[in-house]
Amino acid sequence: MKFDVGPAGDLGLRLAFSQSPKPSLTYSLLALQSAARRQFSDALIDSIVGYTTLTLFFNPLTLDRERAQRWLEDQAQAACDSPGRADTERKTVTLPVLYHPSVAQDLEWLAEKQNMGIDDIIELHSRKDYFAYATGFAPGFCYLGTVDERLATPRLVTPRANVPPGSVAIADQQTAVYPCSSPGGWRVIGTCPTRLFDLNSDPAALLCVGDTVKFEPISMADFRAVQDTQAKQ
Amino acid sequence: MRTLALIRSGIATTIQDTGRSGHQQIGIPPSGAMDKFAMLMGQRHLGHRNNEAALEFAYGDLAFKTSHPCHFVVTGAPALITIGDAAHHSGSLEHTEANQMVNIQTSGHGVYNYLHVAGGIAIPTCLGSRSTSPRERIGGLEGRYLRDGDILPLGPESKDYKPLDSIMPSNRHRDTLSLRFIPGFQFDQFSETTRQKLISQVFSVTPRANRMGIALSGDPVDTGIQALLSEATCYGAIQIPPDGDPIVLLNDRQTVGGYPKAGAVISGDCHRLVQSRPGQRVRFVAITPQEADRVAWLEHHYLETKLS
Repeated sequence: MKFDVGPAGDLGLRLAFSQSPKPSLTYSLLALQSAARRQFSDALIDSIVGYTTLTLFFNPLTLDRERAQRWLEDQAQAACDSPGRADTERKTVTLPVLYHPSVAQDLEWLAEKQNMGIDDIIELHSRKDYFAYATGFAPGFCYLGTVDERLATPRLVTPRANVPPGSVAIADQQTAVYPCSSPGGWRVIGTCPTRLFDLNSDPAALLCVGDTVKFEPISMADFRAVQDTQAKQ
Repeated sequence: MRTLALIRSGIATTIQDTGRSGHQQIGIPPSGAMDKFAMLMGQRHLGHRNNEAALEFAYGDLAFKTSHPCHFVVTGAPALITIGDAAHHSGSLEHTEANQMVNIQTSGHGVYNYLHVAGGIAIPTCLGSRSTSPRERIGGLEGRYLRDGDILPLGPESKDYKPLDSIMPSNRHRDTLSLRFIPGFQFDQFSETTRQKLISQVFSVTPRANRMGIALSGDPVDTGIQALLSEATCYGAIQIPPDGDPIVLLNDRQTVGGYPKAGAVISGDCHRLVQSRPGQRVRFVAITPQEADRVAWLEHHYLETKLS
């Protein structure tokens, strides 16, 4: 496994592994992120794990750049020598999804394109366990992979100005739930009533990198019931 | 309670401090003042030692009244302040009586102004900051842009601050603004021609500019990179989307993205870029991280000695 450590602006260092994303790599990146928090404590102001990268942001006035870079390179080398393993913090989250054309504007389009029934799409999308490779884009947004090849579909050429909150969508072999309404170019195949981001919860984001997500098809009646329960909270 | 009433709220007006940290992993951008230097100067001027919040507004056109007599200072782009019949240039300590109308108008240069009222805008913090992130609806007043008629609570005025000399406005006119950047991310994967195109040409600031980023235009830069796995962006990141026009990512950027990046403009030059109006000519100048560290030290030293 090869890696590269370089700058990310005047506040950051970026570690990038040159290999395809896989859960063991993500576990290594998460372990490195925790180690960096311990090592640098208050000098580390933020950090982000991506598919194959870890980016650390420092207070430039308290950073010894050369030392930090050497530390990160040593840690990355150690990670190469012993592959990452899941630790106990990682959880499995089951998200209910209503797959219905009335709430998913690309469901019929995808079925037609792939010459499948809507039931086949539901079956293909909901039978897999998905791994949370990255978070970000919007608060609570989580990049999940990997979807069945038969469902993989490119993004819209022109993103939609407004994708409704809860939209379950696909882009290439990734799938995700939009936590709040936002612009977006992913293809929408369902809607999830579970709140993925809530400032009044601790933690505010339901999904973390390294989690496993299952999608469970629900009926319209169940969908309404979950919505009503949330409205009462 | 001491309050500030916004009579005319101006453009893109938000409550900001120096921003929040530690939440980028879950997709929350740092936010904070676009011109952090101007924010810090205003805070120091009023003896605000606890990151008290100010109002940020663009293309100065704002009017307010306060419920009690109080001190304030306007930093950032050069502006004209009218209190009653008297008009002053921004950058000095001002005083207003209770319910007196205060007008702040742009002088034609720069973009962002900061209205610091003694005691700061005393709203509760959200995830460690009072900064507004409108897209995420986090912080500030209901997470939104301010409107005419909003009434904002003010904190207690500090008794022990010493009025300072007038503060230099944040922007000095330059024919071509140099944006020093540290090459990184996908820069080494670009072809030599692409790298030269980025460094040798003069770009101009476009009207596609907001708190998320500023788009530049020039001869399109083709990175030759189709798609990337999503990874962290950073402050000042030079993102190059398929249309070839670089976008410098700023405070309210998406925390991760999948477009190629050439590196990142250093913080000190981002503060100059945000005060540039459309049409401003800019060029990228590559520097080493060690040179960037020296710039950061000098700017820190300037603040500490000039304003303490």
